[in-house]
Amino acid sequence: MTKTRIAIASAIASALAAALVAPMAVQAQGNMEKCYGISKAGKNDCQTASSSCAGTSKKDAQTDAWLSVPKGACEKIVGGSLAAKK
Amino acid sequence: MDLVTGIGLRAPHLAEIARDRPATGFLEIHAENYLGASPARQMIERLRETNTFSIHAVGLSLGSAEGLDERHLDRVAALVKRLEPAYVSDHLSWSVHGGRYFNDLLPLPYTEEALDAVVRNVGRLQEALGRQVSIENPSCYLAFAHSTLTEPEFLAELARRSGCGLLLDLNNIVVTAHNLRLDPHDWLQALPDKAITEYHLAGHAVNDCDGEPLLIDDHGSRVGPEAWSLFDEIVRRYGARPTLIEWDTDIPALSVLLDEAAKADRAITMANPDAARAA
Amino acid sequence: MQLALPDLQAAFAAHVAGVDRPDLVAAVVGDTIPAEARLRVYRHHVSHSLSAALAATFPTVQALVGEAFFRGLAQGFVAEALPAQPVLTEYGAEFPAFVATHEPARALPYLADIASLDWALNVAFHSPEGRRVAAVDLAGIAAERLPSLSIVLPEGASLIRSLYPIDRIWKASQPGASADTVDLEAGRADLLVLRRADDAAFIVLDTGEAAFVAALVEGVSLESAAEGALSADPSFDLSAAFARLLTLEAFAALQQSWGG
Repeated sequence: MTKTRIAIASAIASALAAALVAPMAVQAQGNMEKCYGISKAGKNDCQTASSSCAGTSKKDAQTDAWLSVPKGACEKIVGGSLAAKK
Repeated sequence: MDLVTGIGLRAPHLAEIARDRPATGFLEIHAENYLGASPARQMIERLRETNTFSIHAVGLSLGSAEGLDERHLDRVAALVKRLEPAYVSDHLSWSVHGGRYFNDLLPLPYTEEALDAVVRNVGRLQEALGRQVSIENPSCYLAFAHSTLTEPEFLAELARRSGCGLLLDLNNIVVTAHNLRLDPHDWLQALPDKAITEYHLAGHAVNDCDGEPLLIDDHGSRVGPEAWSLFDEIVRRYGARPTLIEWDTDIPALSVLLDEAAKADRAITMANPDAARAA
Repeated sequence: MQLALPDLQAAFAAHVAGVDRPDLVAAVVGDTIPAEARLRVYRHHVSHSLSAALAATFPTVQALVGEAFFRGLAQGFVAEALPAQPVLTEYGAEFPAFVATHEPARALPYLADIASLDWALNVAFHSPEGRRVAAVDLAGIAAERLPSLSIVLPEGASLIRSLYPIDRIWKASQPGASADTVDLEAGRADLLVLRRADDAAFIVLDTGEAAFVAALVEGVSLESAAEGALSADPSFDLSAAFARLLTLEAFAALQQSWGG
């Protein structure tokens, strides 16, 4: 192990050790952003949704998907390029 | 009189029920919602201190010719062991084939061949759980031409051969009878008294099928007058049993469910005061 | 000819998946409501109820695109991939990848990452709470040993790294959110999704913290993770980051690292 590495390792050790006695000010910035709560526990209750006997085919449903335009909170998302950044 | 009617416990009411612990006969949960270790399941575990539970499975696919999914069976068995509910049930239907799950209670032909399959699967389930389970009559939208038994005959024979209990859903009888042009009163005539373990009550929707009304079991409204009338009839004839109010679509305030449950309790007292005391 | 039960169920399974089966139609009693119409009730129910289950698992995706568009998205996915088992909270792992390749959703390049976030919250929510490491648990460990330890993250935890500000997009999509807009130019977001005692939640990480957590996820030592974080962000404050993650109970266990 080189001197530099020893220096880094000991800096890391003291930084980690310091975290264990971190003052409350550090903890205060720790809030989590939001919750996903117990009202989300019922997916197998969707069992009995009202169904029709209408004659729409799978093909029709796929076509609808293509014709439908996103209409929701996405209207609030602005800027950036329309194409994926990847 | 003791409260005998319970309610289906749905996620939107969970926090309120855990906080207020309203008086109700029992709480029924769908097994498949509580197989993971979610905070919701932890809440159910705490509620067990004050409430009686029923576990109603929706995905065991007891009518599958290919047999049960052993992994799912193990998970349901572990939940039953963990919660030790008063009642365990699933449906006379199938929903799994070739490793795919359809999330629907698909219909069976009522034949000796299907009876053998269901008897075998229910036997396997009862063996895995080490207890009796109850089987519920489904809502049907079609009948198979080669059926040789009526639905109540099939259920009675299933109970006799497997030793299972019968969970009779009065709304499903109304829906099936209407859709398959049967008389719902006939349906009630020759049931095996001792096998009946539980009643379910719910509302249904009326859909238009090219000008013909088709009843759909959507559990989206109060119990309808036909189901109440069949409920009176069945309690008079076979006596009171633990009864459940179910509501799954457009779930209303908890007070509405409790109100329906109180109505069922009153119906039980009126129809059969002795049985209500005994239940 | 009468269908034996295994054949009838195979035909019915094909029918609900969208394949017309005349042999099945012939086995069903028709009257003023024909057999085909009766069978369609089941086909529609399977598609609709599974779409509803996906809407419950991906509520933020639905809030962004609206019910009608989501239905198209979900029904397309259902047609490709029915659940492999009956627990619907475990259905949809491949939905984010489906969203990413769904042509009609191209105009919303962040949508697949939002689907990943919804999925991660769902997975964390259904995972065991487990025990978490607190600062006091580390008090007995000599400081010079700390760098060689690695961290086990809680069961069901995941790190979502997006080129888009998905934390802000998520917030703007919640019921009752303000009408304020979110600018995609705000840039990337890195979120650590965790089970908490009563719910699931995400922590927004800065660049250094994200590199630190990404390294921990791979199981390397705290030393290697710290070095990785410093090279990603020279201003990375190891002490503050470690304290923050400990305070948020983001660590399930520490163990001796035998690797890097």
